[in-house]
Amino acid sequence: MRRRLIRVLPLAGAGLLVAAGASLLAAPPPKVQFSDTRLKNGLRVIIAEDHAAPVFSIAVTYNVGSRNEREGRTGFAHLFEHMMFKGSPNVGSGEHFLLVFNNGGDMNGSTNKERTNYYERMPGNQLDLALFLESDRMRALDINKENLDNQIGTVSEERRQGVDNQPYGKTSEVLEGLAYKNAAYRHSVIGSIDDLRAATVDDVAGFFKMYYAPNNAVLAIVGDVKTAECLAKVRQYFEAIPRQPAPPAVDIAEPPQAAEQRQTIDDPLAKLSRIDIVYHIPPSMTPDADALSVAATILSGGRSARFYDAIVRQKQLSSNVFASAGESRGPGLFRVGGMANPGKAVADLEQAIYDEVERLKSGPIEAWEIEKARNSAMRGFVSGLTSSLSRAVMLSQLAVYYDDPGLINTRYERLSAITAADVQRVATQYFTPQNRTVVITNPKPAGPLPAPGAAKGGLR
Amino acid sequence: MNAPRTLTAAAAMIALCAVPTARGAAQSPAAQAPPGKGVVVKGRAPVSNQILKVTLPRPQEADLPNGIHLMIIEDHRAPQVSMQLIVQGAGGFFDPADAPGLAAFTAAMMSEGTATRSSQQIAQELETMASNVSVGSSGSSEFAVVSVSSLAGNLDRTLDLAADILLNPSFPDAELARYKVRQKATLVQMRSMPQILAAERYGRAIYGDHPNSRVMPTVESIDKATRDALAAFHKARYVPDNAIVAIVGDITLAEARAKLEARLGSWKRGGAALPAVTDPAPIGPGKVYLVDRANSVQTSLVVGIPAINRTSPDYDVFSLLNAIIGGGPTGRLFLNLREEKGWTYGAYSGLTAPRFRGDWSAQTEIKGDVTDKAVGEILNEVKRTRTEPIPDKEFLDKKRSLVASFALSLETPAAILNNYVTSRRYKLPADYWDKYPERLMAITKEQVQAAAVKYLDPARLQIVAVGDGKRIGEGLRQFGAVEVYDLDGRIKTP
Repeated sequence: MRRRLIRVLPLAGAGLLVAAGASLLAAPPPKVQFSDTRLKNGLRVIIAEDHAAPVFSIAVTYNVGSRNEREGRTGFAHLFEHMMFKGSPNVGSGEHFLLVFNNGGDMNGSTNKERTNYYERMPGNQLDLALFLESDRMRALDINKENLDNQIGTVSEERRQGVDNQPYGKTSEVLEGLAYKNAAYRHSVIGSIDDLRAATVDDVAGFFKMYYAPNNAVLAIVGDVKTAECLAKVRQYFEAIPRQPAPPAVDIAEPPQAAEQRQTIDDPLAKLSRIDIVYHIPPSMTPDADALSVAATILSGGRSARFYDAIVRQKQLSSNVFASAGESRGPGLFRVGGMANPGKAVADLEQAIYDEVERLKSGPIEAWEIEKARNSAMRGFVSGLTSSLSRAVMLSQLAVYYDDPGLINTRYERLSAITAADVQRVATQYFTPQNRTVVITNPKPAGPLPAPGAAKGGLR
Repeated sequence: MNAPRTLTAAAAMIALCAVPTARGAAQSPAAQAPPGKGVVVKGRAPVSNQILKVTLPRPQEADLPNGIHLMIIEDHRAPQVSMQLIVQGAGGFFDPADAPGLAAFTAAMMSEGTATRSSQQIAQELETMASNVSVGSSGSSEFAVVSVSSLAGNLDRTLDLAADILLNPSFPDAELARYKVRQKATLVQMRSMPQILAAERYGRAIYGDHPNSRVMPTVESIDKATRDALAAFHKARYVPDNAIVAIVGDITLAEARAKLEARLGSWKRGGAALPAVTDPAPIGPGKVYLVDRANSVQTSLVVGIPAINRTSPDYDVFSLLNAIIGGGPTGRLFLNLREEKGWTYGAYSGLTAPRFRGDWSAQTEIKGDVTDKAVGEILNEVKRTRTEPIPDKEFLDKKRSLVASFALSLETPAAILNNYVTSRRYKLPADYWDKYPERLMAITKEQVQAAAVKYLDPARLQIVAVGDGKRIGEGLRQFGAVEVYDLDGRIKTP
């Protein structure tokens, strides 16, 4: 029996897809239908029913990330995320894990520069449990020094696992510290171990009060729930949580860069030289950022991409060269890079990258390259449709970032509208020598162990 | 030749959560001792006691004339299709002993040219549609997998390419030479990553020279790979006799069958039986292996032991034992090493049970200067399961979590289908998954403790640490003589 999960609506951009080439879609993909309500305390609540499976996902996205951190407390937003599992008035330290997993669910939290997200994915009969857990820790935290010290230890090991003990682990921190002048964006999300160690219980309480308010969060629920009933429960659990004054706005100004910036670093854990290049670009969800996202697909999307074919396959200078335009509400970076193959000069790799960048500006862009970008945007949208969690996270995040959860249905159409001329225009505008920052990471023969504490993170 | 056979879509109703809950137990404080000191249980959350009855979909199945077994779960929620073609016998497990990586090279090179398409043509045709066809065969897998996925509207053209890659690869010399350059670069890079070095040493410690010890190829095996060797491996091993095609997506069984028969009808049987596998040789008492990685600021730790195969009668009990020790954030390792001690970002354990005797292991990335203490804690957690009865509530909660999590898989038909592929590969009973909840709930804590006594002998646990030898070597000696290796996998003279 065929059944559609969500109602099918006509798709405005579909004509483009068909016209672009031989690739055909049998029918436009379904759209995500949702309700969008704001409670009295400012909490935005988005609910999308989906009864295909007895499962629901709940995502709470707080409008706070590492960009909100103050000087001397890098990594705090993420450390705070860990504290959200260490106890609230009615849930003991670590009890959250037991309650979710022992009842067949799944959960996690994550922090980036822009936001902090928490989710639970649970069997359909545990809606009350999930709402209770999220509302209890939005209302208040119950944190002590011992719990904080425990998680400072855990997060320090998370940093070592992902950064300090990995080859090229620190490259990205050096790169962002050099490229950005903006204080909100130039440090890493994980932060420095010294700053983590400086965190106090008072910091936790102050951060909670300022950022973890209902009016600074969006709650999305997707799955086997009934909208009216679910909304009534949400009101019951959340509506009495008091609103707080709006947090201070983040300064996202980034002065234009006047000349190329360049640095070479040694990495005792690395075995091959690596190059990383970033170009300053505008925030996401702007026409230029859309075109730059298509440029990234043309340069590095798969084995048919220009970087792969020219640099990896033919010139054999690297085994992988990447390009990406990440999501940012503030000043963005277009990232390019790769590792030099053994016996190959990183300078040759760098030149080969620039050759392709120049070819993108002035040479022809083939119709199939644009079609590929369109189809891959569409594929990304379609593949998110079967996961309740993916939809819940996207809806809450788009509401926090752009005040428009409906972008879940239309964002790929923006990318589908990008033309070859758009790509050439943004490549010419942004991929210039004076707008780039280059970091080369060279392997260093294993030497004496650095002094304890020398393995520092964020550059300030 | 088997007559084509089609099962109609069937479904079994099973009850989840039909056991006392955390809330029920919360009323007697004595019964709610948490599974570790890192946890405080207040017992105030509203947990539903309602029995969740779910309908577990079953795949529809059919046999194609050339031996392919087709399994499909229709999923019409979104216009996309994904397919896994599992070629049993074509994995790295069957690499010749002197050519580790041959299966992986063959798999990767199949997309680098066919009789009628060049490497670039294949990539461009697929990626223009945002479709994926990739052939993979990880280090020691018994099978290769051709993974295919696309938007539903592009499925026909995607399958045309998949069939061409599967049936007509040409292994062009020029592309093979390029592939070798990339592989060697990748190998250099892999040898700088601590978790990969740990996996390599651990594989040797548990499996010796058994094929399952393989983690990565060698420079020598990359150098000596030839077009002829790849073509011969492909010809001999890529046969439909024992192949399984598992499909999830916006397609019916009849449609899928017609599409596959049209494209793979000419794929001829090889005639040979599925190659047998042997158990790894028994190993001696526990040893300590140190991979000396200077400048490490953390230690990659693996502690493990030979275990069981997938069809062992102890499989369910062992799985539950494993979940208690190191299954996710509610496992004892996580609660001890992270939530109580703050020494690590995570600590978990896993049971690997293939057709031959597999292994059980605990692993963590641990703060360097507590490496020896962490080994001690892991050994203690293992010993506790042998000597201390598991508290009733922890035991019930753990069983409940495994059973109730079945509901989540209903959202991901690929996960359910994968269960049935497992059933087929290991010839498990037809009602194996329908009976899984009741089988699991019937396990007693005495059985779990007996399994711990039987399989997890602390004196036989192998300890592998990748870290800075100068800082951690001395502390490891309390667990036995330490064998030291360099980053290239060579033993260092003591």
